[in-house]
Amino acid sequence: MIVEVNNLTKRFGSFTAVDSVTFGVEQGEIIGMLGPNGAGKTTTIHMILGLITPSAGEVRIFGRDIRTHREEILQQINFTSPYVAFPYRLTVLENLLVFARLYQVPRRREKIDAMLEMFGITDLRDKPIARLSSGENTRVGLAKAMLNDPRLLLLDEPTAYLDPEIAWQVKELMMRVQRERGTTILYTSHNMAEVEQMCSRIVFLNHGRVIAQGSPIEITQSILKEERDEPALEEVFLRVVRERISA
Amino acid sequence: MKLHRIMAVIVRHVYEARRNLDRFMDMIYWPVLDIILWGFFTIYLAQGNRLHPDLVSFLLGAAILWGVFFAFQRDMTVGFLDELWARNMINLFSCPLSVWEYITGLICVNLVKTLVGFTCASTIAIVAYRFDIVPLLGAFLPYLLNLVLFAFAVGIIMAGLIVRYTTRIQTLAWSFAGLLQPVSCVFYPLKSLPGVLRAIAWMLPTTHAFEGMRQVLAGGGFSPVHFWWGIGLNASYFGAAILFFNWIFASARNKGLLVKIE
Repeated sequence: MIVEVNNLTKRFGSFTAVDSVTFGVEQGEIIGMLGPNGAGKTTTIHMILGLITPSAGEVRIFGRDIRTHREEILQQINFTSPYVAFPYRLTVLENLLVFARLYQVPRRREKIDAMLEMFGITDLRDKPIARLSSGENTRVGLAKAMLNDPRLLLLDEPTAYLDPEIAWQVKELMMRVQRERGTTILYTSHNMAEVEQMCSRIVFLNHGRVIAQGSPIEITQSILKEERDEPALEEVFLRVVRERISA
Repeated sequence: MKLHRIMAVIVRHVYEARRNLDRFMDMIYWPVLDIILWGFFTIYLAQGNRLHPDLVSFLLGAAILWGVFFAFQRDMTVGFLDELWARNMINLFSCPLSVWEYITGLICVNLVKTLVGFTCASTIAIVAYRFDIVPLLGAFLPYLLNLVLFAFAVGIIMAGLIVRYTTRIQTLAWSFAGLLQPVSCVFYPLKSLPGVLRAIAWMLPTTHAFEGMRQVLAGGGFSPVHFWWGIGLNASYFGAAILFFNWIFASARNKGLLVKIE
């Protein structure tokens, strides 16, 4: 297991954002974390990254506890989300140079050029972040996330602000990265079709708890409680939200 | 602590200083403006023989050195604010960077920025008012050290407060030093303060730094009392600042503030 999340719980005062969440991620797997807004997906990712201290439970990555091996673990993983940003006066290149230094990337400029090309943003290299569209910003975030060739990539709604064409490109790129480099990807999204195509396994959260986990077809059958030949995550999602299904 | 990560923080803030007019103004404009105003004021007082010649040095020296303290503690706080304004905290702390590597990088950048401001202000003082602080620097050095150490401590505490209370208290970056100034005896001696304030002033390393420097300018030589009081107080404040920051950063992580701050 690359990631082991055991009974992870986060309480903010009397509110329980994440409640005894347990799941694991295998090497080279793309796992989707689904759930409506407020289900606890982002809080779980932030606890995996060590940005939030859990109230209970533990996160082990590469067999080590994130609380005691933070530096060693974070050197080998990366994260991006369209909800975080970069210093907006700095250019794309300057921002990526800073992160390349932070991750001690060898041959920084070559690596950055390769990443810019990979995400089709070479022409944005010398533009300040402030002048980029949300979609362009998201692609800069993805380029940053690939700088250190992470063994584990955490992506929080990476295609949220992208038009369908770019979102499709990003999805294809992520699948290529997983295929060619064996990168393990933990992925949250509200785009169910995308998740069905990309993820071999899904952890479905609602009200901070895991309500189902398994392959897209297993999740579909488990929540819709009927035999299906094809996954129908959109239907599952709507059922969970409308019927307030919880664990 | 890893040098490459400290360098990354330095590079990040150098890029910011190059591209952000606010940072340029903070670094050069205010120290220069201060010295121009105080310079004209001392000329006016000197012309009517209203001022003892040594007092010109007291005032201009104090204005320059207070500028060093003010700029340093402000830039420590503004460094964190820049990350908040840019919503960059999650990016920074989801990589292997530790908060103390970040602070060390910020201290290095701020030392350079403060030195640039100090150089500009000192040059204006030499050219326009024939006040040369450079020959005094050797004698001032122990007190300057105390000023800078106290600025580190105050800057670390302010940065901690920013992490906890975010941009709601950002005004402290510019105003907190002003609160200390009246009791730091920058432009007047300690004995001119009333009793209670004198006791408070005695507990501030800034007071001992300016008292010590005034003694040097008055020809009284090095003051071990003010130097060692300054060092002792700084050791206490610095230790307290580190404990406070560690506690408040852990608390921010626990409350989920690192991912919410904006």
